[in-house]
Amino acid sequence: MCRVTNHQTRLPRATSSLALNAFRDGGYIRLLSSCNFSMSQVLECFIFRFNLLLFPLTVKTMALKQVSSNKCFEGFQKVFEHDSTELKCKMKFGIYLPPKAETGKCPVLYWLSGLTCTEQNFITKAGFQQAAAEHGLIVVAPDTSPRGCNIEGEDESWDFGTGAGFYVDATEEPWKTNYRMYSYVRDELPKLINANFPTDPERMSVFGHSMGGHGALILALKNPGKYKSVSAFSPICNPMQCQWGKKALGGYLGSDVSKWEAYDATQLVKSYPDSHLDILIDQGKEDQFLSAGQLLPDNFIAACTERKIPVVFRLQQGYDHSYFFIATFINDHIKHHAKFLNA
Amino acid sequence: MSSRSVSAREYENSDQFPGHSASPPVPNSSETEGLIFYHMDLYGSNERFDIFPEEPSGQGSRFLRNTRRESALSSEKCQNSQEAGYDLEKEVAELAKMYGLDEDREKELELLGGHLETVGSKWLPAHTQKSGLQDSAYNGSKSSSPVKDQSQSTKHQELPDEVSQDEDQSKARAEDEADSHIWSREGLSSSGVSDERSSQAVSEEEETADVFCCTCKIPIRAFDKLFGEHKDHEVAQLSSAVESEKEEIHKNMCKLEEQIAQVENFASHLEEIFITVEENFGRQEQNFEVHYNDAVQVLAQKYEEQLEALGEEKRQKLEALYEQLVSCGEHLDTCKELMDTTHKLYQENDKVAFMKEAVTMVDRLEKFLKKEVNLKLSTHPDFEERAIDFSEVEKLMNSINTIPAPCAPVINPQAPNAATGTSLRVCWGLFSDDTVECYQLCYKPVSNERHSDEQAENMLKVKETYCTISNLLPNTQYEFWVSALNASGISPPSERAVYVTAPSPPIIKSKKTRSCENAALVCWESRDVNPVDSYTVELSKLTDKENGDAITESIVGIPNCEALIHLQPAQSYHISVKALNLGGSSERSEPVLIHTTGTYFCLNEDTAHPLLAILDDGFTIACDELENPECDLPVYDNSFTRCIGILGSLIPFPGKHYWEVEAEEDTEYRVGVAFENTPRHGYLGANNSSWCMRHIITPSRHKYEFLHSGMTPDIRITVPPTKIGILLDYESYRLSFYNADIAQHLYTFNSHFQHYVHPCFALETPGTLKDLLIRPVWHPSCNYRNRIS
Repeated sequence: MCRVTNHQTRLPRATSSLALNAFRDGGYIRLLSSCNFSMSQVLECFIFRFNLLLFPLTVKTMALKQVSSNKCFEGFQKVFEHDSTELKCKMKFGIYLPPKAETGKCPVLYWLSGLTCTEQNFITKAGFQQAAAEHGLIVVAPDTSPRGCNIEGEDESWDFGTGAGFYVDATEEPWKTNYRMYSYVRDELPKLINANFPTDPERMSVFGHSMGGHGALILALKNPGKYKSVSAFSPICNPMQCQWGKKALGGYLGSDVSKWEAYDATQLVKSYPDSHLDILIDQGKEDQFLSAGQLLPDNFIAACTERKIPVVFRLQQGYDHSYFFIATFINDHIKHHAKFLNA
Repeated sequence: MSSRSVSAREYENSDQFPGHSASPPVPNSSETEGLIFYHMDLYGSNERFDIFPEEPSGQGSRFLRNTRRESALSSEKCQNSQEAGYDLEKEVAELAKMYGLDEDREKELELLGGHLETVGSKWLPAHTQKSGLQDSAYNGSKSSSPVKDQSQSTKHQELPDEVSQDEDQSKARAEDEADSHIWSREGLSSSGVSDERSSQAVSEEEETADVFCCTCKIPIRAFDKLFGEHKDHEVAQLSSAVESEKEEIHKNMCKLEEQIAQVENFASHLEEIFITVEENFGRQEQNFEVHYNDAVQVLAQKYEEQLEALGEEKRQKLEALYEQLVSCGEHLDTCKELMDTTHKLYQENDKVAFMKEAVTMVDRLEKFLKKEVNLKLSTHPDFEERAIDFSEVEKLMNSINTIPAPCAPVINPQAPNAATGTSLRVCWGLFSDDTVECYQLCYKPVSNERHSDEQAENMLKVKETYCTISNLLPNTQYEFWVSALNASGISPPSERAVYVTAPSPPIIKSKKTRSCENAALVCWESRDVNPVDSYTVELSKLTDKENGDAITESIVGIPNCEALIHLQPAQSYHISVKALNLGGSSERSEPVLIHTTGTYFCLNEDTAHPLLAILDDGFTIACDELENPECDLPVYDNSFTRCIGILGSLIPFPGKHYWEVEAEEDTEYRVGVAFENTPRHGYLGANNSSWCMRHIITPSRHKYEFLHSGMTPDIRITVPPTKIGILLDYESYRLSFYNADIAQHLYTFNSHFQHYVHPCFALETPGTLKDLLIRPVWHPSCNYRNRIS
């Protein structure tokens, strides 16, 4: 068999087997190959331009102080420090700039870390850079709380105060001046990032781990449409019902439980206006905090099922709460976000 | 003065004609052209010279001519002594070289025509120069006399044979020959060979001319232009004049060559005609001989026949007359005898005796007299009228001019595209020149059966040498033969030729058509009993435009009844099939519409569990009753026995495949993929040859399992999908499940599929079960690929 364009006989009648092979081997390869063009060319282009564009970037970020910069999967993993107006202290954040950021605007994916973490944990342990480079995502990992504010009792416990901002805007003294992590992550940080890096402000998503998973869920649920997608590793799904949540929400927001609902994912789902949110949750089955009742994903899933909020919740056999677990499934999450951010 | 010089030039021109191989350098070429063909004949005599009246006599006028020329060129000679600045030597050499090429040919001509006097004067510039030279030699008044002596002695040495010829003529010829000799020497000397005479000649030439007088057509010295007779004449630089003359020469040479070629062609053509005339004569002669011999023979035969018949008649007449004569004689004898007897009786005296005798005698007489005497002629002296019959001869004579019965025509083998499904165009030809009034074409279908003779032969009369026969059966062989007819009779039939009609259009099995984004598998069946040679698949991509039905591609030479056709994604195609045999191609089949969006497959009914019903749309499976799945219902070899399932038939194409399955929210099902040979007695997903998503309803929730080898991850899904999208990607070894309504990714198997897999579907069995709709559909959204990949 053989094939022709414009209705011209490609070959005179050929013997079947030979012609069949020609058909398989030759005829279509041209057709297919014409589609797979220029990916490598594009990449080369990125690499070539990389060094040229780096300098203008650093010059432009005057409000930012670069703490570190390491080349990673053809992009750069950097850490910056800046003075936060929201938190009234110096804040650091990690940012991964994929190679694609050298030539064009990239979507931004915000990672919110869990209790006790700084910006360092995620960027050093999760191993997300390769997937981020492949999908062309800028990944920003802020710190988990204000630091060095000299508030009494901020360092007393690991699950409250420093390293445990809980992504809420505190209303209680003495925390309400500095502990405004919700507003910081929602407003100030994106503004800063968008002003200093080649981002597409319209395309952002959020994900996190544990307390950061809680933060990601509430940010997405409280701001419909602001984030294209959301995902979480072992999130604190229903803080009003768990020990960590009760301590933090009570400390930052006061004893009025009704105020807590504004920062509780399971509660927020119930009033979420539509279902245009694709939530991916991975949970280690051997997570000690799952069995300790700190995470309560079932409550969240039940609420989502009731409200028809699409959630894929994957209970991963044998995994715990650690970054080893995160590193195992980080690619799935990056891909999940890339699907929406690069659509 | 000028008129005389012109006449001299004319004479020179005339001298040039015979040497037609060299081009005449004269611009006055019309004269040349008119004479060119007849050079040989004209030169047979010297009468030709009479053409030029200013030349008193061609014969023996050499001296006269020379003297005239001398006067014409006397001024030139004067100039010769003064060396002008023009370097003629080079140009002269060039000319010599150029004409040297033709020397061989000239010699041939000399030998042929024997008119050597023409040779030396072929080149006008050379000649004029030479004549100047020679004149000076004849006059002997200048220093050039040794040259003349030498040249003359040379001439006599070289041409001893010619002395015997007419003196004047030989003299003239010899002079010219000498001229040419000198000329060639000059050419040689210019290229480095030095000899006294030639070098002198050259030096003289150098003095001779530096410009060319266009009016007088001679080279002159610049001095003459200023003060001499050429004062008012138009002059040109000698080199440019030479160039233009050369060009002219070349042009005329080309013309001559053309004419030679023409005449040669014509001559060979004439030869051919000769032969043809001879042949035609022979043919005619034979023809006459044959026909007149025939006529003579026929006449002779007729004559013989007529003569024989006449002789026979004569013999018969004579015989009859003789017989009559004999019988007359006999009668006469009897009478006489009776007379005698009676007479004797008369004289009898004895009365008794007389009476006795008389009675008998009277009786006898009476008897005798009673007999009538036949005195009629038994035959006539006249012969029968015998018309002399020339009819046969006339016919014969006529046949000399009339036509014979034609020879058998030759029937052509079937031409390509001469057939349709129901008609054939048959062609034949006649090799002889026979006159044919019409042809008689017969045909019948070819049959392998013995009693094929029973089949009716059809006969047609046709005027042309072709005929289109319709109302035939498709894909059938027919035998044709043809005879030619004219007034004289019918030819023997031609050889029999077998033609075959084109096949009927095939029928595409639309239910078995499968497709994916990059390919389609089309199956069809032939409508004919006899096998066809091959099939052609034609594609037309449907565009937004109205007339998007143009065939854009065709695939030819497909031996069997299915084809895997590579297509572009996200397009719509009309695909049709044509059958081909020797006779041609059939009409197009009814087209089938293919969308290369998503994967389109059909369900394999053979694999269906007996309790499973496929609804009329072909895409929906249903199970109404579930009392005993392992019942005693008839089971096909290939069907599922435990799991109420069915396999689909996916196109075997190693790319991406996507299809969707619709299910009610409370239907329990398994959907996924399986190898074709997945165990029929097991459950889908329970083995390592199937991968599937299972939906069951527990008292608390919808439960979704993603089963392979009986294992599933623990996954909770908050929104029960009613439309499950399944993406199979052979290239990246993935099988992904989606909630197609909200483009939610549910789960991905990573598996390297060693073989092609097929979609599989099964219904679970908790209590009653509603219909499960399984419908491969195409995602309406264009960018779903982005969202799910």
